[in-house]
Amino acid sequence: MAHFSYRILPLATLALAAPAQATVYLTVEQAQNQMFPRQALTPQFRTLTAEQVAAIRKASGENPLSHNLRAWRAADGGWFIVDEVVGKHEFITYAVSLDGSGAVRDVEILDYREAYGGQVRDPRWRQQFVGKRSGQSLKLGGDIKNVSGATLSCKHITDGVRRVLATYAIVLAHA
Amino acid sequence: MHAALTLGCSGTLGLYNHPKSGFSVMRINRIREDDVTYWKTSAWGIFVASTLVAAPACADEPLFGYIYTTDTLPKDQSEVEQWVTLREGRSQGDFHLLQTRTEVSHGVTDNFQLSGYVNLAYANVKGNTPSGDTVPPEVFADFASDPARRFSKARLESVSVEGIYRISSPYTNGVGVALYLEPSIGPRTREMEARLILQKNFLDDKLVFAANATLGYEWRKLLGDSSADPTSEEFVTHWDKETDVNFGFAGSYRFTSNWSVGGELQNEREWAGLNPFKASSRTNQAWYLGPTMHYGGRHFFATFTTLFQMPWAKDYANPAAESFVVNGITNADDFEKYRFRLKVGYYF
Repeated sequence: MAHFSYRILPLATLALAAPAQATVYLTVEQAQNQMFPRQALTPQFRTLTAEQVAAIRKASGENPLSHNLRAWRAADGGWFIVDEVVGKHEFITYAVSLDGSGAVRDVEILDYREAYGGQVRDPRWRQQFVGKRSGQSLKLGGDIKNVSGATLSCKHITDGVRRVLATYAIVLAHA
Repeated sequence: MHAALTLGCSGTLGLYNHPKSGFSVMRINRIREDDVTYWKTSAWGIFVASTLVAAPACADEPLFGYIYTTDTLPKDQSEVEQWVTLREGRSQGDFHLLQTRTEVSHGVTDNFQLSGYVNLAYANVKGNTPSGDTVPPEVFADFASDPARRFSKARLESVSVEGIYRISSPYTNGVGVALYLEPSIGPRTREMEARLILQKNFLDDKLVFAANATLGYEWRKLLGDSSADPTSEEFVTHWDKETDVNFGFAGSYRFTSNWSVGGELQNEREWAGLNPFKASSRTNQAWYLGPTMHYGGRHFFATFTTLFQMPWAKDYANPAAESFVVNGITNADDFEKYRFRLKVGYYF
């Protein structure tokens, strides 16, 4: 214990760890314009009640990360929902668009901050969600094919879309 | 066990618990000077180079300092990693052992990762045994030392190749399972380590538990001890054989973006010879416990772990009067009171 200075070095190195830089592929506004071109979107933000959170968890098997629901209603009756899931190190921000009947129209990755796993941005992978509805099976490895090297991101986004669909059915469908 | 295990995963075989003295210090005093000079020069060169480069990163991003998880690099991805391990303190005297590992890893497939690394060591010890004698730590056991004087030396410990094959993923299969194999070669040292790695995740993969079972074999070339029994193996130059069996368990929780905290528990067992099922060959057992902290960014990561030896050690090789265990802490040649390990890495 005589050479205490040795032990300061690793702590100092940790303290110098620089925060990760986010890669913003799409802003919320850009995603809205892409998913609902030339349509007015009306904010329909909600604060989920404890009962709604419990119902979403029961329906989807996933616990909402936030009680604040960020949803917009499109002029054609569709919905635009922004959500986050856990990534390898940070949250992955993504958007789901639903048509007026609650079926997935598109999924877009807005922010992705990880070194690996960016294959979830591939349109061919995201295309697998199109047409999915609340209550349908939506699991990675079965309904949604995994992408090797991006397993964690694939799994969490799949779980997230299933949760968003449950949220729509419980909170927004009858709005 | 081997140098790589000592450096990378802790615990090697208590190299040699002499039935009487418990230490091997005086029996290897006939090392060729040119051999020592060569390795000394090489070790210092690589040590300085690796320190100056300060290259970050290794295999896959480690949540823990000592316990491995089943994560591997994606196919065709690479990373570099630098480890620094400081092993400090005995029940008496001075004991400082600094070990470094510089590693490059590559994802051969999404489930198979290969790494290569260089292990260096520096020791500075004096009066570090219960008897008050100076005895070098295990990775320097093949050097001569004066029991009454300070021992200070740097060396190239070994070079290693490591392969990790993931059988199942904790993200898609419920429980992650991986196999690990690491051969090492160093000056007068050969080592082989195999490890079973298990991993289970909870809470959106933010809470991670991992368990390791490690089997390591070590061969260390010790020169003859002229004071030993002329009929014994120790009298002539020979390959000393040892076995390590380690069990580790760790848990970590990512409490906010990029940052995780947790703890690690490591049980290290040693046998003389290569048969870990032979109870009469047991030499030492020790336990280590301590906290770990991890930062993971997009390309950079760092992990810092501190382990404390728990007062549950056993010395199976020596009678109670000559035991290495003092107040429950073993002072055998591959153990110390505290371990501090920093890993930093960079993904390409």
